[in-house]
Amino acid sequence: MSRKTINIPLGAQHISLLEPVRFKFECENEKIVGVDSDVGFVHRGVERACTTKFKFDAVGYVVARICGLCAITHSLAYTVAAENLLGAQVTAKAAYLRTLLLELDRIHSHMLCLSHTCENAGFEAMFMQIMGDRELVMEIQELISGNRVQFDYICIGGVNRDITAELGKKILENLTLVEKKVREYKDEFLNNWSLSLKFRGVGALSLEDAYRFNAIGPLARAAGLQTDVRNEMSYLPYKEIGFVMQMQESGDIHARNMVRLDEIQNSIEMCRNIVNGLPEGEIITKIKGKPQGETIVRYEAPRGELMYYVKGNGSAMLDRVRIKTPTFSSIPAFSEIFLGQEYADAPAILASFDPCLSCTAK
Amino acid sequence: MQKIQSSLEKIREEIEGFYDQKSWHFLTLNGVALSNEKLEVQWIFSKYATPDEVVVYYIEVPYDVEIPSIADIIPSAIISQRELVDMFGIAVEGSTKGLYLDEDSMQTPLKGCQI
Repeated sequence: MSRKTINIPLGAQHISLLEPVRFKFECENEKIVGVDSDVGFVHRGVERACTTKFKFDAVGYVVARICGLCAITHSLAYTVAAENLLGAQVTAKAAYLRTLLLELDRIHSHMLCLSHTCENAGFEAMFMQIMGDRELVMEIQELISGNRVQFDYICIGGVNRDITAELGKKILENLTLVEKKVREYKDEFLNNWSLSLKFRGVGALSLEDAYRFNAIGPLARAAGLQTDVRNEMSYLPYKEIGFVMQMQESGDIHARNMVRLDEIQNSIEMCRNIVNGLPEGEIITKIKGKPQGETIVRYEAPRGELMYYVKGNGSAMLDRVRIKTPTFSSIPAFSEIFLGQEYADAPAILASFDPCLSCTAK
Repeated sequence: MQKIQSSLEKIREEIEGFYDQKSWHFLTLNGVALSNEKLEVQWIFSKYATPDEVVVYYIEVPYDVEIPSIADIIPSAIISQRELVDMFGIAVEGSTKGLYLDEDSMQTPLKGCQI
């Protein structure tokens, strides 16, 4: 007897994800048996613009416009690549300040994902609560960099602004408040039916499939795959400030939520260590020259591994800027996870991936 | 970054021999337009739990050849293979145009300056 299936689309505009991605699910009754994805609705040609419209010293600000949530990670990865090609190194203080803003970015990005997970579970009050608390982090980011979203904080040679003792105190105060809130969320995510029992065993990725599909970020760590670029690079002082890789094993939505909650707590601890142990020195080093040669730089963005390949020819215009974003390389793993799941769970599974289509279709 | 040059004929076999999914993480496929009407195609890998260890297999080919697919060895490569087809207009075994561009688009945005 032939199998009867129907195709049900999710997106390109869907209430569970306000970004343009379309999944076409082939369903047998309620079960998903086939997945097709379309991620190319908003391609903007940033890679080409970086080599034809802007000089190398402006590209760091251009790539920050790829994504509103992880703008700082794009700036960092490009800037470190440019510094590699220029043979330059930044001061310890600049490296610490870069790391501070990167970890603050991770905290508010994870809070956004957790709030969307609550919204998909029908837990509107928790969604509003987390979004409100997230403002504590956004406030610090604005005080440090001058902007809430597009920071333009990292530049070739260091960072654009220093922090004062008074600002350091404000950062520690807000982080203490956020830490208290995160402990409360963790209790809810562990014990509340909507957020825990409903999501246990749903949308799971096995460790074997995590390896097979080269899973990255919280998706991989929730499945037990020990990978985090912060543990695999040396240009930022993660070993000195208390980085600990956060792992789970079950690979389901619940495990992804727990990885993010644990990472927020670890990021708060690292930010605190940075503020309390900030080295003395300049925040920027003057660097001369034009980029020559090729380099690859990786960084652990909130959604996973971000990679920049940059090739310079000794002039002000670059030969190539290749940007590999976390969501882009995770699409095959996403599709695999959907197989065998109930269609009704698809929006919650999708939200738990924390996809960023702005990055994907850069 | 360690670069290893290969050839169109041998690249698939070499990646199959090199790639151990428990040790190596496949980052992406990359294209770099060269000045001599050729394309440098790169397969980029990093080693798990090892700081700054990146290996790049690469070949230099004209635009009218078909690049072999590695999607049966590394399933996640399928999406960057489709991106390469769109951006450079080069054929990749089993990959069709239409990830970012329209399926019948004549554009090849990163192949020289042909917009």
